[in-house]
Amino acid sequence: MSTKPDMIQKCLWLEILMGIFIAGTLSLDCNLLNVHLRRVTWQNLRHLSSMSNSFPVECLRENIAFELPQEFLQYTQPMKRDIKKAFYEMSLQAFNIFSQHTFKYWKERHLKQIQIGLDQQAEYLNQCLEEDKNENEDMKEMKENEMKPSEARVPQLSSLELRRYFHRIDNFLKEKKYSDCAWEIVRVEIRRCLYYFYKFTALFRRK
Amino acid sequence: MMVVLLGATTLVLVAVAPWVLSAAAGGKNLKSPQKVEVDIIDDNFILRWNRSDESVGNVTFSFDYQKTGMDNWIKLSGCQNITSTKCNFSSLKLNVYEEIKLRIRAEKENTSSWYEVDSFTPFRKAQIGPPEVHLEAEDKAIVIHISPGTKDSVMWALDGLSFTYSLVIWKNSSGVEERIENIYSRHKIYKLSPETTYCLKVKAALLTSWKIGVYSPVHCIKTTVENELPPPENIEVSVQNQNYVLKWDYTYANMTFQVQWLHAFLKRNPGNHLYKWKQIPDCENVKTTQCVFPQNVFQKGIYLLRVQASDGNNTSFWSEEIKFDTEIQVFNIRSLSDSFHIYIGAPKQSGNTPVIQDYPLIYEIIFWENTSNAERKIIEKKTDVTVPNLKPLTVYCVKARAHTMDEKLNKSSVFSDAVCEKTKPGNTSKIWLIVGICIALFALPFVIYAAKVFLRCINYVFFPSLKPSSSIDEYFSEQPLKNLLLSTSEEQIEKCFIIENISTIATVEETNQTDEDHKKYSSQTSQDSGNYSNEDESESKTSEELQQDFV
Repeated sequence: MSTKPDMIQKCLWLEILMGIFIAGTLSLDCNLLNVHLRRVTWQNLRHLSSMSNSFPVECLRENIAFELPQEFLQYTQPMKRDIKKAFYEMSLQAFNIFSQHTFKYWKERHLKQIQIGLDQQAEYLNQCLEEDKNENEDMKEMKENEMKPSEARVPQLSSLELRRYFHRIDNFLKEKKYSDCAWEIVRVEIRRCLYYFYKFTALFRRK
Repeated sequence: MMVVLLGATTLVLVAVAPWVLSAAAGGKNLKSPQKVEVDIIDDNFILRWNRSDESVGNVTFSFDYQKTGMDNWIKLSGCQNITSTKCNFSSLKLNVYEEIKLRIRAEKENTSSWYEVDSFTPFRKAQIGPPEVHLEAEDKAIVIHISPGTKDSVMWALDGLSFTYSLVIWKNSSGVEERIENIYSRHKIYKLSPETTYCLKVKAALLTSWKIGVYSPVHCIKTTVENELPPPENIEVSVQNQNYVLKWDYTYANMTFQVQWLHAFLKRNPGNHLYKWKQIPDCENVKTTQCVFPQNVFQKGIYLLRVQASDGNNTSFWSEEIKFDTEIQVFNIRSLSDSFHIYIGAPKQSGNTPVIQDYPLIYEIIFWENTSNAERKIIEKKTDVTVPNLKPLTVYCVKARAHTMDEKLNKSSVFSDAVCEKTKPGNTSKIWLIVGICIALFALPFVIYAAKVFLRCINYVFFPSLKPSSSIDEYFSEQPLKNLLLSTSEEQIEKCFIIENISTIATVEETNQTDEDHKKYSSQTSQDSGNYSNEDESESKTSEELQQDFV
């Protein structure tokens, strides 16, 4: 009875090895970069979690639903490029939120870590998008968009939805006058959002 | 008769009167303009339209706006009773990500009907205005400070740090343009000529929203006289024993240097209070073109470093800033055997856990004879490198560093520790050939075995055998039980064992019946492939019988 699991284990090991070998030879440049992106994103998630010991119970009252746009789930085959762009936008917006307002609620060490991490994340995504841009015809498309009148530009519904989402977060912070509770709620929300995009990085690997 | 005539005329007059009056008033009904163009630059909304009727003079226009979802129209302040065909407004407290609708009408003595402009989302229509540019000149470099045109803009409230800029720079004399794309708000252009006037213009972009702004006005600046002391060059970071070693080149001797560092992410956010270049204490006023500082000075991240020279009276300008990523770490080189076979091993972090290489790397290997200083450089993609054409019986030293293959990413590791080895005497090629053949012969059975195992795996996973496992044979030696567990090729007939004979409880007639029934059942089992139907039937029969009993 014990020979079969061993066999399975051996097979799995070999299979994994072959898989890595094949993956290593086929996926180059941006795809391999995504492994690093996943790692940086995961680190950022951990940083966001470790910024506070626990969510203060008294802040639960002030919690509101920000309605993270989940339309990527609707697509059966989400466009990799659209997700990357949205992820890049999200990284910049999150970086913006944690950078612009000076506040003493969190230790500066934590703030610096999350800013470093989000900057790195945005940097990798930017490089990937630049690469894709040079490969595809996007450069031409971009130039065409420049010359077209504003109305005729390619509609980016998802980008607008994402912006509305961050606008709600920004408004919330302003309304609550950047209170400690407001910051805690925003921290948890950004972590949720980051995790949502982290799941999509798994899609980037497939070509 | 007269009364009738009078009545008729009155009626006619009453009918005709309005028409006559309007004719006297000067005409046809006012028509609202049919086409309105909306342009948005930063926070300014510019509306332009054409008069519907050129002949009618002294017409004024007014606008209303409506947020989608609301029913009421609000007067648009700044665009009421406009005599020209253009108006600006920027003082609305709008959510720029929500659609709004506008409507226009013409007014004179009476008003025209409203013409509704197609609804639009202000953010989608908005263009980025020209940025503000501030220049600082050095002798061979220009520092550029760029900031958005509108401070605390409502339109770009979420984009304070997301802007990237691109510029065009040219020498005033020659006019040859150079484009620099994708830069942050603090940028330095190097390798310029002293005492020359350079002109540039900058535009902003929000790449994820497909927006490219308009160019700023042209700014010109003249670079200063060449400084007595040039800035240090070729800064490199390497590692030695838990320390970072920073090295650079300098043309003059007897200088003191200082090194400063900055978090790389602050380039996105120069307004931050943290944006200050800080000194590295171990590198203050060093007299040599290198300085050593411990690794724990920098926590994990990306940093920028710059060096400055001074001779007591004058200081040079700052050197070019180099990017220093603590994450791409050092490599260990092991020289396996003779004729210089270099094996670049995985880097180790301080915890002695190997770092996974996540992106393709190329390796820059520098080696030199221990006695001389002449360095030779080779670039390799593999981690296993053989360096040919070396002198036998000489000591060579090797150091290496990794670069990301992708030039855009542009990351480099620090140089590894130098490893020195002595080359073996010549004529090793024949020995290598024999050794090679032996190794190949030795390895062949292993390769065949590995292939066999792999094929077996594939067969196991994709083409499973239909034979039962041998272990089942071990534990279940009895044939009937074995058949129970496995589906065999031929169907075997099972003998049905009656668990309880109900016939003894029931009446005589029924006993006969049940006997017959049992006979029926047994004959049925020989045809039935499963036991289930049989059980059901016997159960239903017994329940019926029981019911009869109780009745």
